Amino acid sequence: MKKKTGVQRIWIFVLLMVLLVISLMPLFMMIFTSIIPQGDLFHLIKENTLIEFESNPVFLKTKMRAVGARTFEIVPVDSEANKGVKVIAANSEADYGITAFTGNKDTNLVKYVSLLIKAPAGSTLFLGLKDINDNEDQIEIQKIENNEFNQITIPYEPDKFEKVETEHISQIKVLVRIPEGMENGEIIMDDIKTKLKFPTFANFIDVWQEQDFARYIFNSGFVSVCVVLGNLIFCTMVAYAFARKQFRGKEFLFMLVLSTMMIPPQVTIIPVFMLMKSFGWIDTYMALIIPSLVTPFGIFFMRQYIEQLPHALDEAAYVDGANDFQIFTRIIMPLSSPAMAVLGINTFISVWNDLFYPLVMTNSKGMRTVQVGLAMFQKLNQTDWPRMMAASSIAGIPVIIIFLIFQRQIIAGLVEGGVKG
Amino acid sequence: MDYSGLNPQMNFIGFDNYIKAFQDEIFLKALGNTMIFVIGTVPITTGIALLLALLLNSRNLRSKGIFKAGFFLPSVISMVVISTMWIYLYSSNGLFNTVGSLLGFKMESRSWLASPDTALPSIMIMDIWAAFGYYLILIYAGLQNVPEQLYEAARIDGATPTQIALKITLPYIKPTLFFVISINTIRSFQVFSEIYTMTGGGPRNSTQTIVHYLYQVGFSKFEMGYGTSISYILLVLIMIVTFIQRYLLRSDSV
Repeated sequence: MKKKTGVQRIWIFVLLMVLLVISLMPLFMMIFTSIIPQGDLFHLIKENTLIEFESNPVFLKTKMRAVGARTFEIVPVDSEANKGVKVIAANSEADYGITAFTGNKDTNLVKYVSLLIKAPAGSTLFLGLKDINDNEDQIEIQKIENNEFNQITIPYEPDKFEKVETEHISQIKVLVRIPEGMENGEIIMDDIKTKLKFPTFANFIDVWQEQDFARYIFNSGFVSVCVVLGNLIFCTMVAYAFARKQFRGKEFLFMLVLSTMMIPPQVTIIPVFMLMKSFGWIDTYMALIIPSLVTPFGIFFMRQYIEQLPHALDEAAYVDGANDFQIFTRIIMPLSSPAMAVLGINTFISVWNDLFYPLVMTNSKGMRTVQVGLAMFQKLNQTDWPRMMAASSIAGIPVIIIFLIFQRQIIAGLVEGGVKG
Repeated sequence: MDYSGLNPQMNFIGFDNYIKAFQDEIFLKALGNTMIFVIGTVPITTGIALLLALLLNSRNLRSKGIFKAGFFLPSVISMVVISTMWIYLYSSNGLFNTVGSLLGFKMESRSWLASPDTALPSIMIMDIWAAFGYYLILIYAGLQNVPEQLYEAARIDGATPTQIALKITLPYIKPTLFFVISINTIRSFQVFSEIYTMTGGGPRNSTQTIVHYLYQVGFSKFEMGYGTSISYILLVLIMIVTFIQRYLLRSDSV
């Protein structure tokens, strides 16, 4: 009998473990995809194409420039569909090749640069960099031994480029010096790519800096903290009055507070919006913070807690001549700090996670909270999975961290005050 | 009907907006979809939560804390993040299509959310995943109220695990279950974020829901009057459901 239950227990454990892994799978996928450099999980395109010679030559001129030779020519490589670039080298005194404009790129994320090249045998290949302050540097890569197309992979070692800031690179050059004494060398290049290192934070950096997520996070954090503080102060005050004071109509007022808890927020959104509009608060922090400063759920939750605190302490304080405010700040608030922690954390999570309310109340980009920002970002970047997952990780990870730290309070708040709905 | 909320002019039009709502094809579609959503997700979510809570409540199970936290984790993450994650899973070369084709099924080469037939069920599946942990914790808390002596007595009398579950556990957690079903229903009536993020009500209004339609009417078309009418219809619906559930709860729990 005992042995049987032991086996059963292991089975239940294994079953639960499998279910847990399945249910956390989407989260793992999100984090995993967000650190892949470009492309998506099942069609890995980890290379970042520096120059695509298949494009229109006029457009290519905005992305690249010939070095040494006055101009470049787009020629077929192997077949008609696959095109490359041809640069004619006139003598062996100078370097010839092309420069790709990269904007302002942190090349420390690059693992290697690869390209397909055909140059006269005995030529020397160089890789050059230019940073945004116009400092230049170049290193010798290798000699080219035959006259055929060679696939060359250049391991990228930022330390070798001493004169440039490798965090801010504006141009990447691929240069060739033809052998001594030669004239009219023909250099053909194709598929110039950079491969990024695998676990990369490039997506996060891009989303954080370029896509305004820093601003969204600030907005969300600021609004959430203000609302949490407001709820802690005001809900506790109201709850104190309801729990300890006797006044006419108390029960009726409390019922009124409870009944507003039953009304879903979507029902009141239009009246609240019009109210905010007539105050001129639309698209300001005021609209995001002030209507949520005190919530019926908070009042209900804190009243339940304060009611079961012993009366002896505040009566003793009252006898000693303390006024209501002193009793509230010196006795009630310290005693109810466990409940306040629960209320605070749960309020933070619900404000941070809310989409509907900030979506309605804001319309400029600078006022968006992170949820609104993420929803908009997602609509604009339909299939850019790594960056999308990086953006959603940015929006989700703060809450996950808070949950892992305050697990107990969050679950306690949920179980005790699950009425919230 | 003509009140936009932007200019102060308004005319009193009686119940015209309510009549308009029930003649509005999109609204009726939204109402129907919301009903399908509620009826489709609530029983499954509650069922999964109940089963897992019962498993989790089995005696001498180790590391219950990890399971509770792990299953609960998705419900603290915002719906927008979850939706973004699942758009990826549902995409044409996402997890589901890849696994499906590995198992030899012929998968369509487009996102599950792009077809009117699969969009709403896809969102429902995601919603079940996102919500069950929350109810699992509530039911698990309810299970802790069942006195241990009852189980022991039943075991001594030779009751089978099924008998114990049906005759002892279920009656004890009935109030919790009703409570879970009731808040789950209310929440499902309010479904918005996932619709807004994943499909925007499309394709062809196949995922339009009441709150999403309310948002479109009120804040895209700025028909504030009509929007408010829709919100009242939602309120009445939720009230009716709540009262029915309250009634059932009261008559059953002594």
